[in-house]
Amino acid sequence: MGTGLENTWIWGVRDMTMKQTKNNVLPVMMAPRSRPTDPFRLKAWHGLILASIVVLASIPAFAAEEPAKASIFDVLVRWMPLLLEGFVFNVVISISAMAIGTITGAALRLGQISLNGAVRKFAWVTTQFFRNAPWLVLLFFAMFLLPFEIKIGGLTIPLPDWLKAIFGLSLPVMANVSEIVRGGVVSLPSGQWEAAESLAFSRTQVLWRIILPQCVKRMLPPWMNLYSILTMATVLASIVGVSEMMTLTGQALAAEGGRSDLLIPFYSFVLLMFFIYCYPIARWTIRLEKKFAVIN
Amino acid sequence: MFGVLSKKVATAVALGALALTALPAQADVIDDIKARGVLKVAVKADYKPYGFRDTSGAIIGIEPELAKDVADKLGVKIEYVPVVSSNRMQFLQQGKVDLMIATMTDKPDRRKVVSIVDPNYYSSGTNIMASKKFGFKKWEDLRGKPVCGIQGAFYNKKTGRDFGAKIVAFKGTAEVYAALKAGNCVAFVYDDSSHVATLEQADWADYEMPLPTIDDAPWGLAVKLGETKFHAMMEAMIVDWHKTGRILALETKWGVANTPFAMDMNKKYK
Repeated sequence: MGTGLENTWIWGVRDMTMKQTKNNVLPVMMAPRSRPTDPFRLKAWHGLILASIVVLASIPAFAAEEPAKASIFDVLVRWMPLLLEGFVFNVVISISAMAIGTITGAALRLGQISLNGAVRKFAWVTTQFFRNAPWLVLLFFAMFLLPFEIKIGGLTIPLPDWLKAIFGLSLPVMANVSEIVRGGVVSLPSGQWEAAESLAFSRTQVLWRIILPQCVKRMLPPWMNLYSILTMATVLASIVGVSEMMTLTGQALAAEGGRSDLLIPFYSFVLLMFFIYCYPIARWTIRLEKKFAVIN
Repeated sequence: MFGVLSKKVATAVALGALALTALPAQADVIDDIKARGVLKVAVKADYKPYGFRDTSGAIIGIEPELAKDVADKLGVKIEYVPVVSSNRMQFLQQGKVDLMIATMTDKPDRRKVVSIVDPNYYSSGTNIMASKKFGFKKWEDLRGKPVCGIQGAFYNKKTGRDFGAKIVAFKGTAEVYAALKAGNCVAFVYDDSSHVATLEQADWADYEMPLPTIDDAPWGLAVKLGETKFHAMMEAMIVDWHKTGRILALETKWGVANTPFAMDMNKKYK
């Protein structure tokens, strides 16, 4: 329908763009200016709407005439402390896994740019392996291959499930952080290395004083993105039996005797908690991205 | 699927344990428990009323109470470790728990993996829960239809192999109930004791347990293989539970109709 018309329109647009490029400076040299990245931004009051959706989802229960059956909202409120306790667990797992993953990942990356060939190869293989392995599979390995306690001499160190989950999740984080650091280091113009070397800095000094400080701000946004993804991935631990929010939600539902009307409100609540936690991180990431944006 | 995996995993765990010199001391487990002051028991946390959570997060139900009896007898504190069907035997093998009372059906192949204690403490059969509108009459009616089950339950295989149902296995009961309501499967194959409790609720008024119960099989509580002393102690405990009518009393307390098995055992040992 109206193909001819469409063609002229497309050509017109192309002509316009070509003219623009001719007349204006090249895009690469354009002055930095903030562009609208999101068509829409969530404000605090949107959170209220989200919360009310959860409440509204539980409204049908008020219509249910049986007095013996507690309303969905009441049930949710009753279980809320336990579920929130579970959520704290998710947060603890995510923060710990991120901390371990960041430290080991950064070390792994430094290994990848090491001057020693063997170290370089080992670091590369490790990074590639863990970056391309499914998170859940790594979690299973951590769960079932690690003993439940380690005895060193007379000392018994218990390894509870959540600790194993932290370990299991920190493996893919490690590999991803390693790649983020790589991106950061590579993004620096090689002139930085050359200039530093010409000023007689040692390799360690170049890395710690010149390269890494410049990388940090470039790495921050992707690093925070990774943290967001990791936080949302902590529910995977429910599959291996860690008593985090998702597991407890399932158990709470079972304790209510398989009432199917509870399902949507309960899982909406889980969703809401993760959203409330992760959304500000996402916003902050975008802000940092804008702040540190490199126009080149 | 989990059976094979669990055996491999058990081997791997054993090797890993050797490598880390984490092999538990070869002392008797009862001595270990007393030295530790805590009895660690594997129980279900999503199987009302046999083992489930209250709103404070504590695990309660018939099996946790039985476990508490054992801890009281040993004079130690109790710690409940929530398990699911697919990991309960591993936990016992690893030594993560000392005792498992987790709605496990007593099967010969399981006796090779863990030490199931005789006499059996409970019993239930397998049945399905399905919407009345399907009008299932016999097990063969399930042929080619999607049927929900719980991962690691032994009757999944049987229902699939003998009756030709397509098993869709879930992690917990909550997911299954949702799938059943959403129509992802036509029936839920599980313990009849669980179905009876569920069908009493108004929510499930349109559902029924239409088929003849099969595989009426006893439940086994288990200790780790080779723990003969603990095994003997548990044997005496179970006989005592039957003799004193403890199981019957617990059934009544948690709102389950007294089962024929519990009544028979009570008569037998009285």
